[in-house]
Amino acid sequence: MLQVENVTIGYGKTEVVHNISFHVKKGEIITILGANGAGKSTILNTIVGLHQAKEGSIRFQDKEISKARPDQLVQNGMRLVPEGRQIFPQHTVMENILLGAYIEKNAKKIHSRLHSIFERFPRLEERKNQMGGTLSGGEQQMLAIARALMTEPSLLILDEPSLGLAPIIVGEVFALLKQISSSGVTVLLVEQMANSALKISDRAYVLETGRIVLEGRGEEIRNNADIAKAYLGNV
Amino acid sequence: MQEIVTALANGSIYALMALAIGIIYSTTQIINFAHGSVIMIGAMTSYWLLSIFHMNYFTAILLAVLINIILSMVIYKVSVEKLGDLTQNSSWIVTLFGAGIILDNTARILFGTEPKAYPFLFDGHVISIFGTKIMIHEMMMILVAVIIGVLYQIVIQKTNFGRAVRAVSFRPDTARIMGIRSNRIVLMCFAISGAVAAISGALIAPITFASYTMTYSVGIKAFAAALIGGLGNTKGAFIGGISLGLIEGIASMIVPGGLKDAISFLIMIIVIIVLPGGILSAKLFTKGELKTEKI
Repeated sequence: MLQVENVTIGYGKTEVVHNISFHVKKGEIITILGANGAGKSTILNTIVGLHQAKEGSIRFQDKEISKARPDQLVQNGMRLVPEGRQIFPQHTVMENILLGAYIEKNAKKIHSRLHSIFERFPRLEERKNQMGGTLSGGEQQMLAIARALMTEPSLLILDEPSLGLAPIIVGEVFALLKQISSSGVTVLLVEQMANSALKISDRAYVLETGRIVLEGRGEEIRNNADIAKAYLGNV
Repeated sequence: MQEIVTALANGSIYALMALAIGIIYSTTQIINFAHGSVIMIGAMTSYWLLSIFHMNYFTAILLAVLINIILSMVIYKVSVEKLGDLTQNSSWIVTLFGAGIILDNTARILFGTEPKAYPFLFDGHVISIFGTKIMIHEMMMILVAVIIGVLYQIVIQKTNFGRAVRAVSFRPDTARIMGIRSNRIVLMCFAISGAVAAISGALIAPITFASYTMTYSVGIKAFAAALIGGLGNTKGAFIGGISLGLIEGIASMIVPGGLKDAISFLIMIIVIIVLPGGILSAKLFTKGELKTEKI
């Protein structure tokens, strides 16, 4: 579904990501692990079109997308849930969700998706007229995911969904991702919380200072103590 | 009484001008330094259409609005969009000033240097309310400003476009990953700003005379009103505009006419020093407002 090949990304003259390649197959949950500053967010922002790669090719559903605009990618079924959730704090919960459906002009579709979103997230329906900024961290993460689901993406990309959340909430978020994945959505995840992420992942890549140093099945990487120590810190 | 109505009428137009600056500032964080010139072009083109082509008021202003919309979109395309990321590039200061100077010089060649008497709406007809003589034109100034202000707030708060404008002003990149084309939204904001500028220019021209120097004589007040109300705060624009109008009105009663503008700008400087975020940033008005967000 997504092929990243020999991609190099930089800001100005500084190269941040060096010649990386990885792929995501339809229906998989893939995790990219790495510490702070390894280049994880840079890779995701480049995939969704916020940033341009210096070299290499990115293909999504067999189409070259390295020059595509974010709105075109949203239209084609790719959605990013950004780092730190980035909900709109001064829009109501309802408005946040509707913004997620900005490109969808069909009122019927919006209505039916809204219905299934509120079925999945009853808390959001209770709070639909509250300002986004008044939600708790966990609720904001749910809102960020709900907002992304409003265009029924085929590939959902999440940038550190566990960031700043209490462990019990992290568990809920990953359970939700598993559930979304089983409903047919392919999931690409970037995480520092190696353990929880690897539990639900089919495959994982380990990123260190802009290079992929390891790849394998989720279980393999989770059970490998050396890797844990070397790249992931204490897990 | 008469003076107060005049002050309120002028203030309403300053408010419209400040609103137009705020519309652009809120989505781009840049100040459109060409805005004074855009107001002037609105006044001059409508004057031209009125006096040379003998159009009626409504058609002339409508055409001036259209011309200004196109002009503002061109200004955005040429002097702003090409610069890329505006947070890392302050060339817009020069390109927008440059665009303004080009417009001023063009206007000077096209329309001449002589200030023109711009006709009042309803031929300057005066009505008497409770013994006070009020020009219908002044009442129209207030009415039009209020209608535009209310319409703008409705659009911003209730429509899809408005939600997107607020999203782009708050988090442009996040707005983009929602599928919103931020550049399109900003282009629309420039267009709206140009339209509002044409209306405000045409309504104030009968009072100030229509001339290419309106860029500075009138345009500068737009910036003053915007700053007093708080840059980018579109409700504050109205507070700023009306305050500026009242300050001017009061100042012209107690000091010689030549000092009127000096007093207004002195007060603007004081407001900016005391309340850098504009009048609406005073504690009195921010009670209970959401200031921080949770991470």
